[in-house]
Formats: sequence, C-alpha cells, structure tokens
Amino acid sequence: MFFEGVDFSALELPPAAQALREEVRTFLRSELATGAFTPHLGHTEFDAAFTLKVAERGWIGMTWPKRYGGAERSYLERFVVTEELLAAAAPCAAHWFGDRQTGPSLLRYGSEELKQRFLPAIARGECYFALGMSEPGSGSDLASVRTRAERVAGGWRVTGQKVWTSWAHRAHAFFVLCRTAPDTGNRHEGLSQLIVDLAAPGVTVRPIRFMNGHHHFNEVFLDNVFVSDEMVVGEISQGWKQVTSELALERSGPERYMTTFPLLVELIRRMGAAPDARARELVGKLSARLWSLRRMSLAIALTLDPGRGAQQGAARAGPDLATEAALVKDMGTFFERDIIEAARLLAAVEPTPDATDTFERYLAETIVCSPVATIRGGTTEVLRTLIARRLLGALK
Amino acid sequence: MLVESLTRLLKDHVDQKLLVAAKQQGWAPELWRKLDEAEFPRVSLPEEAGGAGGTLSDLAAVLRVAGRFAAPVPLAETAMLAGWMLAASGLPVPRGPLAAGPAHGETVTARREGSHWILSGTLTRVPWAQTASRLVLLAHTTTEAIVANVDPRHCRIARGRNLAGEPRDAVRLEDVPAEQAAIAGPGVTQETFRLRGALARSLLMAGALERALELSVEYAQQRVQFGRKIGQFQAIQHEIARLGGEVAAAVAAALSAAGAMERGGDVTLAVASAKIRTAEAARDGALIAHQVHGAIGVTDEHALHHSTLRLWAWREEYGNEAAWSTALGQAIQEGGAEPFWPAVTAH
Repeated sequence: MFFEGVDFSALELPPAAQALREEVRTFLRSELATGAFTPHLGHTEFDAAFTLKVAERGWIGMTWPKRYGGAERSYLERFVVTEELLAAAAPCAAHWFGDRQTGPSLLRYGSEELKQRFLPAIARGECYFALGMSEPGSGSDLASVRTRAERVAGGWRVTGQKVWTSWAHRAHAFFVLCRTAPDTGNRHEGLSQLIVDLAAPGVTVRPIRFMNGHHHFNEVFLDNVFVSDEMVVGEISQGWKQVTSELALERSGPERYMTTFPLLVELIRRMGAAPDARARELVGKLSARLWSLRRMSLAIALTLDPGRGAQQGAARAGPDLATEAALVKDMGTFFERDIIEAARLLAAVEPTPDATDTFERYLAETIVCSPVATIRGGTTEVLRTLIARRLLGALK
Repeated sequence: MLVESLTRLLKDHVDQKLLVAAKQQGWAPELWRKLDEAEFPRVSLPEEAGGAGGTLSDLAAVLRVAGRFAAPVPLAETAMLAGWMLAASGLPVPRGPLAAGPAHGETVTARREGSHWILSGTLTRVPWAQTASRLVLLAHTTTEAIVANVDPRHCRIARGRNLAGEPRDAVRLEDVPAEQAAIAGPGVTQETFRLRGALARSLLMAGALERALELSVEYAQQRVQFGRKIGQFQAIQHEIARLGGEVAAAVAAALSAAGAMERGGDVTLAVASAKIRTAEAARDGALIAHQVHGAIGVTDEHALHHSTLRLWAWREEYGNEAAWSTALGQAIQEGGAEPFWPAVTAH
C-alpha cells in the first residue's frame, strides 16, 4: 500500500554522498567561525555573498547537466547538501527557488535558449528567481488565477497582480502562471507559464510585511508588461500540467520537516546531561519522529534518483510515491511545530526576539513563523484532500 | 516472491472463522503447519542450522505481511528471537513453534550438573509459551551467558493472554534440564534480545496498521449516510489521510530499522525510533480506524478488532513508546547537542 517497490535494506547513503557531507560541514563551520552569516530560523534569509560561495563549490543546480552549469551529481548528493544547509540555518533564499523549482522546470520544459540563458547564471549564484503563483483571489485554488496575457506581435502583454511573492524585491525575474486563453469551463486549460523580468517597464513590487516586520513577501503588479515569445516556458496552455508535475520531490524534501531543527539541537544543549524525565521522553520522541521522516524522505529521493543527475529533465520511471511525498509534507510541518512546543514547555522562557541566547532567539523566531509551514506549498487541508482522494479513489 | 507467496497463503487461510477460533484456542495450529511446510518460520536463519536462509530484511517483509493478516502464530518469536539465539550460538533450530525469553528485567539462571545445564527462573509473560514445542532461553551463570533449549512440559506454565487473545504465559522453571545448550554466541545479549523483540513488534504493527487502513478505506467507500458515501465527506477524508500518514510512517520506520539491523553497527537509534513511531501510529491509527467505522467496528463480528486489539497489545510489548523515548532521550542528552545531527545522518 505504501512504499511499494522501495528496498529499505538498501536505503543507505553512498560513501561519496557522506564525503560530500563532510565538505559541506567544513564549509559551514568556517563560514560561522568568520561570522559570514548569523543563523536565523523562521524566514530563510537572502544573502547574495553566501549564495556566491555556495555556487563556487558547485552546490547550486548540482544535479543539472554540465553544459548548463550543473555538476551532474545525484539527487542524493543534493539531498545531503540541502539537509546540511537547513541544519545550519544557512541563508539560502537567493538560490533556493532557482535551485529547487525554476531550474528543474526549465530543464524539463524550457527551450534550449531559456536553458542557456538562465541555468548557468542560476548555478553561478548570479541570477535569482521568484515564483508568481498566488493572487489576491487565488490561494489554495491556484487554477483560478486571473492574471492575463494578451497576444501581441512577438510576444505577450501581461496584466494582473501576484501576491506572497517571496523576495521579488531582490530577484531578477519570476515565473508567472497566467491565463493565455479565455476560460472555457475547464479551468486547467488555457494557463501558461511565462518568465517576467522584474525590472521590466510596467512591473511594480510592493512589500507586504510579516507580523514581525520582516520583509520577504511582496505583491507584484503587472501593468501591460511586454514578455517576448522566447520567455514562454514550455507550451502555451500547458501551464497547469507543468506546475503540478514536479510536486513529488518538492513536497518530500528536508525543507518540509527541518526548518525548526536547529531549535531541537539548542534544546538538547539547554537540557544538558542530567535532564528530567519529561525532557528525556520528549527529546526521545522528537528524535524518533525526525528519524522516521528522514527515512521516508530519503526513500522517496532514492527511488526518484535515477543515479544519473544529468537525466533530471527526462521522464522518470519507477514507483509512484506522490502520496508518500504529500504525507511527508503533512507530517513534517506538524513535527516542526512540535519541536517549538516541546522547547517552550521544557525551557519555560518568555520568547524574546532580541535575545542574545541562541535558544531563546530561535524560540521567538520559530513561534512567530509557526503558522506558515502548514499554509505554503499546499495547505494541510488541500494536501489531506489530495491524499484521501488517492487512497479512496474517485467515489461516485 | 517471498511476500507474494506468503500473502497468497494468508489470504487463502486467514479468515474471520480462523481468527475467532484462534482467539479461543490461543493460536491457529493448522495455519502454522502450512507456514511451516513453506519454511516461513525459518526465514533469515542459516541453512546449516536448519534454517531457510535469507536476510533479516526478508524476515522483516514476512513479519509485515503476518501483521497485516493478524496471523495467530509465533512467527516473530520463532525466527527473530528463538531461532536467532540458537543459530548464533551454533545450535540447531528444531522444527516447530518456538518461544523465547526472558523479557527485559527478568533472569534465568543456569548451573552445570555433569554434562548438563540446569535452568531456573520465573518469567511473567512469555509470548506463545503454551503453544511452543521448545522454549529458548538466554540464561546466566555467575560468569557466562548461555543459550538453552528446554521442553515446556518440564516447566510450570500458567496460561495468560494479551488483549487480542494471543498467549502470554507465566513460566516457572525449577531445575529444568536443558535439552541443548551452548555459550551464547556473539551478539546474543539481553540488550539485543530486546532490540530484536521491539523490531519484530514494530514490523507486525506496521502490517496491522496497513490492514486497519485497508478496512477503513473499504468501509468509507461503501457506507452511505445522509445519502452519500461517507468517504465523500471531507471530514472523513481528512481522517483517512491522517491514518494514511501514520501507516506510511510506521512502514518506513519499521522497514528502515530492519535494514539498519541487517547492516549492523549501533542500531539503538533506528530500533528505538521504529518502536516509538509505530507505537504512536498504533495509538492514533487504531482510534481513527474505529472512528471511521462507527459502531460496527467495535463488535466482535467485524474484522477490525483483530487488528486494533493487536496494535494495543503489541505497542506495550518489548517496551512501549514512553520507555524507549526515555531511554533514547537519555542517550541523546548524554551524547550532547553536537553529536546529535551526525548520529541522525550516519546512514
């Protein structure tokens, strides 16, 4: 019923991946030692200098073909790099979207010209992407987007409004899901993906501040913005399929259960070598859940990994683990919350945003951001409906 | 291949009638005979000891399927515990259902009398003792550990049972001569016994949870209320999704722990995590399955209770989630904050 075709006895990272892990740890230790970044939880910080250093080591677009600036390494190696960056709460916002979403989409659907133009620049850590999906009237119901593109000579004129666009004020361009044909009744038809230059005439980016004053969200207004034909990703009217096709890997990665992990490490430090019975039990339980989620996530990554990163763009055969992937996100986001809950109950400190103590600062940062994980990238409710449909089949 | 043939065998033979009879009788001897003919009780045991060969992961797959069908036979005790202790100590594995002990916190003492080993001890809850042809024990002298094989007819057995009606018997040994005995082989310790027992229960629970989900999905697809199949209500859908999560996590944790034990090394994190996670899944999973079924699920005529009663029994056996969490938490805290992430990512 679950994990059919997965060989858990072979579920072990190869020595090459573990050697890479040591490289990443050494790099992160030296960055921390020199004060190159301060780890923050809650929001992934945007740090162009840090992204350049990650890129220099070949850790952005690392599964992509070499001809597009990639390193042709395996998904497992990427998994290792991702989990190490998360464990260190490193500032990855500048390259996260390009590495995880834009790049794979371009590899799979983009024209040769688009691949040449953007992939090497993303992998060099010089080009940042944002994602233009949600709109004021389209949150969970993404197919209801109303941003429209009108056909004009040599391209399209795009008009509409995107919202919750993380880091649009720092990114160079963003993927815009929009309507290129009138709604004919089938809402999944007539949607397309275009790349819009965020510096183009007609684009206005306005901040939406988070409740703690942090600025990463934006609303982006598009007023008759010209987009040339070359900037169409994949085929016109195939946008829905393109957007939903790469979800399995995206839903099951370590970013879905590790965003509050550094708080757990600080909790262990704070509880010390002689913890009380409650602390022992809670730390044990959380560790068991982390271990189990990671095995699920690894099982999915290993199964999807053809072992040849260069073929990432190709269709993958093998077991369908989309349900398992959605389950990782659902359970992972609640696990992240339960770390916060254990930390606050065991330590009994008042959360203070400006605390000098790392544990106390992490606690404050994670509490404020705790509602977000179960909303972004598919709400809990949407995910559970999708999971149930797969388990129950179509009921008539 | 192994999984397919076992699934077929259990599908053909384990039905409501057999399970109800086993609840009264303590087990299903006819089913055991069929499994025995097909060598399933000896999977993972070396052929030179009379085993069927195969890996620990093969045995893990067998136990998952056995749990799914609530097979009322001592497969786990025979292969994972008793057979393992015998084979690892260079002793042949006798045919027939085996029981194993002692449980955590209990001891069996051994002394030599001429060329014989004589065993004594009081054991409170030995799984399947009343149905076993031999009882395999890890016993201790003042200086060494031995593995011995005794005839249960030489022991005083007071029958007991768990929530699901599986035998859990009190066994008293008063100077019982061992039929066969040897110095305990490498790795045969009380600690490993407990780890293997916990792993076996995790695998059985993963299978039982799969069955609880299958039954719940089937029921939600058929039961009509308010003019609709209840699976069409979002409230029920979300409960099914949550149950699915618990089941998937239990399967991944139990099978991963078996893989870790097969590879060797320190398996405490893996096995403790598997027992904790499957026991947690048993708690939420069993109750969600019952909630979806409504009142019919709590009756003895419906099949669901064969799975849920076992989940409620098995989660306590070989250490419940509180015991394992506390031990795991203690070990993590003693290790300190920095080694924690490297330990999680060692595999």
